[in-house]
Amino acid sequence: MEDNSKIIGIPRAMSYYNNYPFYYGFFSSLGFKIILSDKTTTKLINEGSNYVVSDTCLPIKVFVGHIINLLNKRCDKIFIPSIQSTAYKVNNCTKIRGLPEIIRNVINQSFKMIEPTLDKTNNITFKDFCYDIASQLDIFDKEKIEAAIKEGWTIYNNFQKMTLVGVPFEEAVKSAIEGKILPKPIEIVRPLSVVIMAHGYNLFDERISMRLINKLEKMGVKAYTGLNVSRQDAINSIQELGEIQYWANELDLTGAAAYFMLNNKVDGIIALSAFGCGPDSLMVDEIQYHATEKNMPMINLTIDEHTGEAGFVTRVEAFVDMLIRRKRKIIQESNIKVLPSSKKEKVIVSEEVVKNLTFV
Amino acid sequence: MNKNRQREEQKNRFFQKDNTIAAKDRIVAWPRMGNIDLALVALVSSLGVKIVEPPPNTNEALEIGVKNSIEGICLPYKLNLANYIMALEKGANTLMMFQAPGSCRFGNYTKMAQKTLKKLGYKFDMVVFDMYQSKMKQTLQAFWHVTRCMNPYRYYKGFSMGFNKAFAIDTAERLLFYTRPRELNKGDAERCYKKWYKIIRETNSVLGCKRLKKQVIEDFKQIPIDKKKIVPKVYLLGEFFVLLDPYANKEIEKTLGDLGVEVERQIFFSDWLEHVLKPSFLYKKESHRERCVRFAEKYMKRAIGGETIETVGDTVFASKNGIDGVIHIMPFSCMPEIVSQNILSKVSREEDIPVMSLVFDEQTGKAGYQTRIEAFIDLVKRKKMKSKIKNENKKEEMLAKC
Repeated sequence: MEDNSKIIGIPRAMSYYNNYPFYYGFFSSLGFKIILSDKTTTKLINEGSNYVVSDTCLPIKVFVGHIINLLNKRCDKIFIPSIQSTAYKVNNCTKIRGLPEIIRNVINQSFKMIEPTLDKTNNITFKDFCYDIASQLDIFDKEKIEAAIKEGWTIYNNFQKMTLVGVPFEEAVKSAIEGKILPKPIEIVRPLSVVIMAHGYNLFDERISMRLINKLEKMGVKAYTGLNVSRQDAINSIQELGEIQYWANELDLTGAAAYFMLNNKVDGIIALSAFGCGPDSLMVDEIQYHATEKNMPMINLTIDEHTGEAGFVTRVEAFVDMLIRRKRKIIQESNIKVLPSSKKEKVIVSEEVVKNLTFV
Repeated sequence: MNKNRQREEQKNRFFQKDNTIAAKDRIVAWPRMGNIDLALVALVSSLGVKIVEPPPNTNEALEIGVKNSIEGICLPYKLNLANYIMALEKGANTLMMFQAPGSCRFGNYTKMAQKTLKKLGYKFDMVVFDMYQSKMKQTLQAFWHVTRCMNPYRYYKGFSMGFNKAFAIDTAERLLFYTRPRELNKGDAERCYKKWYKIIRETNSVLGCKRLKKQVIEDFKQIPIDKKKIVPKVYLLGEFFVLLDPYANKEIEKTLGDLGVEVERQIFFSDWLEHVLKPSFLYKKESHRERCVRFAEKYMKRAIGGETIETVGDTVFASKNGIDGVIHIMPFSCMPEIVSQNILSKVSREEDIPVMSLVFDEQTGKAGYQTRIEAFIDLVKRKKMKSKIKNENKKEEMLAKC
């Protein structure tokens, strides 16, 4: 029989998709065994929806579903952070700020909630956040906590190193936890590339995003995400567009989109947002404004718990078709001759053009 | 500290203050929100600047706002944008707006509106003041930038008149809520309120404004009322803008008053103004927010932005003070109020107080609300009767024992 007091449950939702490597390092260094909830399924979403009012957005419903899942696994300590602000006056969405409050009031079972607060506007730093977790777990040994924070950062840094060179999220998390660093994966040249601006908890959740990245790759489109951009690059490119970072989790969206748009690395932007998401509605609009200015195609995909996969795929396909046609036209309009006008004429095609034309 | 400065610089870069417009050429406008105009007109006009008032919020105005804003944004922004556009059409060249960063999407309103209006081809100067830190300083700076008024007496006159007018109109509104369900001749209270609205609007001297509040109270006292009538009392809570703007909430207070219910609202513009602008050391009694934090403690451990903690705290306060029901109103997709809606269902269950949430957006008819409100009021009334009978039975039992 395992000691139940040394087990902590982490829901596979929300900040899991940004900070899990840190949490893993931190908790396991403090001597805790981590139980993750199962991957999101339709049943899990439906269970979560039963507890909250219908206006609540999809990610919160999913989060509640994961908490129920953890409770069904007999987990009596659950980690629910309240991330209020990540820099001075850079606040998070109210629903994320109030996650512990929502869970406390909608779920009637008794369990211990580990609810630390991170609020840099009011001078509650990340270190305070970590000490807060430890004190709620009845650990007051300062050296132990410091070591745990260090361990957390080590794993997180490895994770970040991998994602920056383009290792997919799942693999990066898996090998970061095992303490390995994967080398840069071999890049398959794809004719098109897009950037997906979406929160990690929407994009990397296979049920919510309906494997959007895989689908795009099958269509011959390379998809960049917010994980492929470093924090500093993202902040700089937002400033370059003349905007201010207003939301705490904005870097995944505007930061990534702005970075790839300014560097001309992509052919289009795909925005994936949950229905009724407040911050997303503003951020998508912001990027839409700049994309129109820079003549960059953009599509906004809205998802909720009822989104049918067929309709979703059709829209993505149509967008990709449009991108192909657009790129072909650009190549035709430039002076490179692609097809010979008569049988006698020979066309010398440079390697670069061939690369671009593999799809035509 | 360094970071603070960085952010400050960032912000200033975005809101570049336009100094090319001379003070005498400025025509100022601001978005509408309930009775906010009365105070602001007094203040700005006493500083010697021309004013354009956007036409009142109507369906046509809302249509303009909806046409020019994105799909997912909330109702207050759509109305604000419509106000800006209509004011600019009428010749305004300076737009004033306050904002509170870090609460919810509200902090982004001005930024978005500015972009949208520029895209539409308007030329204007937007003056924004933050309601976050050093509020009085920010406010004064903004007014100085607009008016270049050097005369301290004018500032005194403006602020004094503005404050007094805000207090007077809010007192009138409070009395209206009290009198409307009890009045003997239907329509008396409404008429009295409208009369005073006009008088408050036209009063133009410091002393006259100071006297207003007393006169309003005296005048309302003369309306004949039925003092013995049993009137259920309902709290109106929720999002700031929808609470204060009669167009946005489809005049819910009037609907309730006509049904014979006394409405009490915890959020008034003047209270908020006093709380926000007064330095904290002058504020001796417990402020509304502090009280809310105290009462909401059981359900919420931290403030999470917006008016969530106020809504939850006031609901608990209501149940402890013998209020019969709570109506919680919010615009569609309002982030903080969705959280409070989630929490309120538990509060309602545990504190034994009926709560109804109403969501307002641009596509809702009044009839649907009427039915729901009537049903809710029936429930509240029946509950009140039941508790009254119970109390009487108890009294009789006690008397019999004696």
